[in-house]
Amino acid sequence: MKALEKLDEHLTTRLDEVNKEKEQGRKVIGYPAGGYFPEELALACDAIPLSFIQAGNNDVLKDAGAYICRFFDPFWRSQIGYLTSGKDPFYTSADLIVVPITDNHIRVFSNTLGYYTPEKASFVFGVPHVKDEYALDYYLQGIKRLKTKLEEFTGVEITDSRLEHAIELCNRERELFREISLLRKADHPAVASKDFVALNHGSFLADKEVMIEILESFLKELEDTAPLPKDGPRILLTGSTLAQGDSKVMDLIEESGGVIIMEEFAEGIRPYWNEVKPQGDLMTNLAETYFMDRVCPGWFRPGTERLDFLIRLAKDYRAAGLVWYQLLYRESYKVESYFFPARLKKETGLPMLTLESEYDAMETGPLTTRIETFIETIRR
Amino acid sequence: MAAYYDELLRLCGFEQEEIDEERPRVEKAFERLGIGPEDMDTADHWVRQNHDVTLRGVRKLLGAWLKELIDVVVAKDEGKKVVYFGFPAILGPGLILSASSQEVMVTAPDMVLDHTMGQIFNKLIPILEAGEFHGLPPGHALCSLWQAKIGGIALGMIPVPDLALASSYYCDMGSKADDLVAALYGVPVAYIDGVMDSPWGEFPEYLPERVHYLGAQINQALKKAEEVLGIEIVPDAWERSQKESRPFRENLVRLVEFMKADPVPISITVIQLMEGLASSSTGRGIREGIKAMEILIPEMEERVRAGIGVSEKGAPRVMLRAGHASDPRVTRLVEEAGLAVPLTFILGSSAGGVKVTPAGNYNTPGEIIADYEMTGGYYHGTEAQIKFYEKAAKLMKLDGFIATYIYNCRPVATVSHPQKKYLEEKTGLPVLSLEIDNFDSRAYSADSLRTKVETFAEMLKEKKRAAKA
Repeated sequence: MKALEKLDEHLTTRLDEVNKEKEQGRKVIGYPAGGYFPEELALACDAIPLSFIQAGNNDVLKDAGAYICRFFDPFWRSQIGYLTSGKDPFYTSADLIVVPITDNHIRVFSNTLGYYTPEKASFVFGVPHVKDEYALDYYLQGIKRLKTKLEEFTGVEITDSRLEHAIELCNRERELFREISLLRKADHPAVASKDFVALNHGSFLADKEVMIEILESFLKELEDTAPLPKDGPRILLTGSTLAQGDSKVMDLIEESGGVIIMEEFAEGIRPYWNEVKPQGDLMTNLAETYFMDRVCPGWFRPGTERLDFLIRLAKDYRAAGLVWYQLLYRESYKVESYFFPARLKKETGLPMLTLESEYDAMETGPLTTRIETFIETIRR
Repeated sequence: MAAYYDELLRLCGFEQEEIDEERPRVEKAFERLGIGPEDMDTADHWVRQNHDVTLRGVRKLLGAWLKELIDVVVAKDEGKKVVYFGFPAILGPGLILSASSQEVMVTAPDMVLDHTMGQIFNKLIPILEAGEFHGLPPGHALCSLWQAKIGGIALGMIPVPDLALASSYYCDMGSKADDLVAALYGVPVAYIDGVMDSPWGEFPEYLPERVHYLGAQINQALKKAEEVLGIEIVPDAWERSQKESRPFRENLVRLVEFMKADPVPISITVIQLMEGLASSSTGRGIREGIKAMEILIPEMEERVRAGIGVSEKGAPRVMLRAGHASDPRVTRLVEEAGLAVPLTFILGSSAGGVKVTPAGNYNTPGEIIADYEMTGGYYHGTEAQIKFYEKAAKLMKLDGFIATYIYNCRPVATVSHPQKKYLEEKTGLPVLSLEIDNFDSRAYSADSLRTKVETFAEMLKEKKRAAKA
C-alpha cells in the first residue's frame, strides 16, 4: 500500500530530519514506550517527541548485562543496552529522556539512566498502580512537573492554545487508529496485523502531521482494498510489550494460518481508544485520558479492568482464540496468565495459549510447534 | 504427660509450663503442618547444626518464631480474623490493626513458614513445590516467599486470610500474587500503593506528594480493613503499637553496639532471626522477641567481656546484605570462611538505629508512616538502599561487602550492579556481588556459593595481612 511505502520512506530519512531540526534549535524529547508520556506536552513546546520502541535483538541484552542482572524483562534490558551502547541512534539524538515509572522493570532503566549515564538529561515521574482520586492527582502532579521541566528545557511556554492544538493533533491520530482498528471487526478484514503494527510503531517515531496524512491515506486506500485472502482462526494477541523488531510470534501465528485481528499491549502499541478533551483544564484532561480512561496494563492492581477489556475485545472482534505473549520475568503478566484462562473459558469459551520470550532465536522451534498446535486445535 | 515434641520445644526456649499450657494448640498446629514424631530427630539435629543453642536468647528467639507459627496456623480455629501482609512491608498499618483488636492476627506467614518449617524443621521444600504448582512455577524468577505463602495456603497449613494488605509501594510481584490469592480463594485485597519514582541523586530528599499519596493509600487500606474485618481502629492505635514495639527497636540498637566488638560475639544468623521477626510479626512474635533479646543482650555482653566470638579476633569484617530466611547454612557459610559479619543491611539502616528524621509535619497515621518510610530509605528507591550500605562501612569499620541481590525479587535485584560500583568507588572497599535466593536454597545452596565466598574471604585476609605488614 502506498501509505505504508510513504511511512517507510519517512522513517528512512527521519533521523536525518530530526538531526537537522536539532541544528535549528529544536529539542528532541525521548521517552520509552508505555503510553504514559503525553506527547502533547512535547509538541506544545515545539519539541520533537520520539519513543524508544526497538527490541527483539538478543545481542543487545548482552550489552545490558554490564549494568544489570538478567532477571528483568528483556524489553527493558534492551532499552538499557541501547541507551548505554549507542546502538540505537534515536537514543543518541534525544536531548532529554523522560521516564514515566510504572513498575520495577522500568525503574531499573531509570536507575541506569541516572547512575550510569548522568550526562544524559532526564526527567522521571511516577505512574501509580491503582485508579482512584489520589492516584489521579499523583499522576497529574507528575505531568505538571514535567510541563515545567519541558518549558525550562525548551524555553517555550506551553500555553493553553499551544496545548489545545497539540491535543487536537494527537486526538486526530488516535481517532484514525481507532477507525482502522474498528474495521478489523469485519468478517473478512482488509487490514493485516503486520500493517497495523507497522503503522503503530511508525507513529512513535514519525512527525505527527506526516503520520496523520499517512493514516488518512491508509484509510482511503482501504476503501479499494480487497479483504485479506486468509480465512484462518481469528486471534486476539495480547501481552506486555510488542516491540519494533519483535515480530517472531506475529509471524508464526500468520504462518500457521491464524489471522490476528487485534493487538492489546501495554508497551509498543499506542493507546488509541480514548481522546483528550480539548477544552477546559487541559492538564487535568490529559491526566484523565492518559491515566484514568486508558485501560490499565497488567501491573495495575488489581488487573481486572484489563482482563474485562480482553473479554470484551474477544467478543467484539469475534476471536477464536487468545494468544498471551509475555516477556520473561515480567511477573505481573506471568501471574495473571495462570488464573485468566479459566475466566476467559468460562465467559467466552475461548482457549488461551501462553507464550514467553527472551528474544532468543533458539525459541523459534518450540514456539512454532506450540503455535501450530494451537491454531490447528482451534480449526477443529 | 510429655509428648514427642516437648524436647524440641524446650530446645527452642519453651518453658515446661508454656508447653503444658500450649499443648492443644501445638498438637493442632503440628498436625496441620504435617509434623510428627518422625520429624523430631531431624529437627533437633538441624537446629543444633545451624543455631548457637548454647545461648538461651537464641533458643528463645526460635521459640518466638514457633509461637508465631502456632498462632497463625490455629488463628481461625480460635475465632480470629487473619490478615496477611507482603514482605518486606511497611509495618505501620499491620501494627495499627493489631493494636486495635485482639481478635485480629496480622502477620507475614511466608516469613513465618521460612523461619520455622525452614530453619527449625527443614521441611520447607514441599511447601515451595505446592506454591509452584498453584500459579507460581519455577524458572520464571518468581518470588519464593510467595511460593511459600501460596503453598502453605494450598496445603491447608495456614488459613486463607480474611484480608490481604498488598505492598504495592514496593513489589509488583507481591501485589499481583495477592491478585492470585483473590482469584483462587476470593480474598479481599487492600492495596497500599506507592510509586518508587525518585530520580538518581534525590535521596535523602523526596517529594511531599509521595508522602501524601502513600499516606492516603495507607489510610484507605485501614478504612477497608475496618469494613472487611468489622473492627474499629482505635484513635491511639499508632501510639500504642509504637509503644509496644519500641523495646524491640531499642534492643536492636543495643545489639548494634555489641556487634562492633572484635571478635563479633554472635553469629549473624541470630541477628537475622531478630530482624525477620521485627518485620514479620505485629503481635506475640514481637513480645516474645523482646523477651528473647533481653536474655540475649547480657549473654552477648558476657561474650564481649570474655573476648569470645564466632570468628577469630582481627578477622576481616564484612556486611552481608541480608541473612537467609529459611536455610541458615547459607548465612553461616560466610562466617565459616573466616569472616566476621557484624551487620546486615537492615541492622545498618533505620531499623537498627541509624538515626533518621522524617521531614514533614503530618497528622494522619498514613502520612506519618509514609513520611517515616521515605526517610528510612528502603521504600524510597535503589539509591537510598545503597547509601545505607555506605553508612554501614563507617558504623562497623568494615573491610568489605558481600552485596547479595535476590535473583527473583525485582526491587532487590535493581541493586545488582550499581551497588558494587557505587560502594567500591565511595568506600574504597572490595565488594563481592553475589546472586542468591534468600528464601529458597535449592538453586543457591551454601555449597554452590562456597567457592565465591571463600575466594573473597582469602583476598580480604591477604589484604589485611599486607596492611599489617
